[in-house]
Amino acid sequence: MIEAYFIHLLILIGIYLILALSLQVTVGFTGLLNLGHIAFFAIGAYASALLALSGFPFLICFLFAGIFAMLFGFLISIPTRKLKGDYLALATLAFTFVIYAITLNWTSLTRGPLGLPGIPKPVIFGISFSNNLSFLILTFIIALISYLIIKKIISSPFGKALEATRDDELAARTLGKNTFKMKSFALAISAFFAGIAGSLYSHYITFIDPSSFTLMQLIPILCIVIIGGLASLKGTVLATIILVLLPEPLRFIGFPSSVIGPARQIIYALILLLILIYKPKGFYGKMELE
Amino acid sequence: MSIVLQLLINSLIAGAIYALVASGFSLIYSTCKFVHFAHGAVIAFAAYILYFLFSVIGLNFGFSVILAIAFASLLGYGMNIVYNKLRQRKASNVILLIASFALLILIESLILLLFGADVKTIGYIKVAKGMEIFGAIITPLQVVIIVTSFILLLLLFLFMKKTKMGKAMRAVSDNKDVAEIVGISSEKIYSWSFIIGSAIAGIAAILVSLEQNLEPMMGTNLMIKGFTGAIIGGIGSVPGAILGSFLLGFSENFGIWYLPSGYKDAIAFIVLLIFLLFRPQGILGIKRDEKA
Repeated sequence: MIEAYFIHLLILIGIYLILALSLQVTVGFTGLLNLGHIAFFAIGAYASALLALSGFPFLICFLFAGIFAMLFGFLISIPTRKLKGDYLALATLAFTFVIYAITLNWTSLTRGPLGLPGIPKPVIFGISFSNNLSFLILTFIIALISYLIIKKIISSPFGKALEATRDDELAARTLGKNTFKMKSFALAISAFFAGIAGSLYSHYITFIDPSSFTLMQLIPILCIVIIGGLASLKGTVLATIILVLLPEPLRFIGFPSSVIGPARQIIYALILLLILIYKPKGFYGKMELE
Repeated sequence: MSIVLQLLINSLIAGAIYALVASGFSLIYSTCKFVHFAHGAVIAFAAYILYFLFSVIGLNFGFSVILAIAFASLLGYGMNIVYNKLRQRKASNVILLIASFALLILIESLILLLFGADVKTIGYIKVAKGMEIFGAIITPLQVVIIVTSFILLLLLFLFMKKTKMGKAMRAVSDNKDVAEIVGISSEKIYSWSFIIGSAIAGIAAILVSLEQNLEPMMGTNLMIKGFTGAIIGGIGSVPGAILGSFLLGFSENFGIWYLPSGYKDAIAFIVLLIFLLFRPQGILGIKRDEKA
């Protein structure tokens, strides 16, 4: 019993880790305050779920979830590439709401508020990941691969150029870097990983509805990124583990779930505020958002 | 004909409420220069205070309304203290934005915890029969909403133009450093912007809660409409915010002529996206300093 509970928590940590790492690519490494991350997560989750329900194998759904989200990331980056700071935040936020409204209202595709039940558990090359332990292994492998790929990207010359864009866009342009293009790529990469996290989520929970993809869901991820420290992958891993586990003791004190939900959000919001006021760089952050 | 008139009236009602939200938000933005998301939380907070005082405790309605507005102001003032701590360490406006997002979620979750997720009604006004004007229907309450909103917006306009405080606010909004040189305390102006802006949000909350049900997340949606209105009109310009809000009201209500009504919210965001992309300074706005 307690084992199953821990496996569930570890799977959540894995999914949150992919989401937070991918948000680091835009917010931390490129300095773009992207509040649309949940939208990419939603796109991935819905794309994967819809494909799986029409009979496609898991791997195709999984990859397509990432690619589809990436496409949206790239598309949204084209008109917003000149926006800065709070304006970009508002534009990406608006995107979150547009996607939410679509999932809620395009009922012939998404079944609206009824949600999509019965999403199959993953089967890869005949190996079924229907029990939670095997799903944990799958999540762990995907999270690890995501971590390695993101680490590789950000330590490549391209990654360094992203950081240069963040620190001084004008200087980067003067040195001949096409910063608009780089920001587009950063957003697309970030969206790809958010999309595959969405795919994992939908195949794990086996049910999705629009309420899983509201603005509220952004707060834990944003909290992880800022507490871990901007542009720090190590900090992100540490912060993910701490923040996913932190509200769990509430469960053992015996609060009903109607209390635990809001209490979790309150804890995250308070931590975020305190961090911003007293330790703005988080655990291992190199700088603050400009 | 009557459909057009009905849509026109609906647009006016929506616009009147958005304009109240947007003007308070815009007032705060113009002086403090950051996006105060938690303005939405102030609205939800005031609505629930009214619900608690009037519908739960059973206080006199007028007294409850005054207290709700006062509490909204107080909450705005309290939030400014948090922002002030951030300003002291020279945090950027993006950091302030994240902080305001955290405040929004914090207050909404507290309301959810205390009052539960089910919708609440104030129940002060019995369902009234609408009046018919050329085949379009408007209830007395909706007339009150439109009139109150217009009077308030006029008062706000006069306040900004004629009073010493209003002029000081415009001075800080225009150039904070110069304003400080001539002896205006910008911190004081920040506090007053929050107090006045939040009081307007409180009034908006009361009008909304008489017309619609209360739910913990009601503020977020209104807030988004409010700042969409503010951006369309020209962020940081209070008259612009009012103009933009009415335009938003019209485009939403006429938009659902073509689209299913569920997409009403999406229309607002698409309008917002279009403006952010092509005219980020809004209709009346002046191009903003890149550094700001």
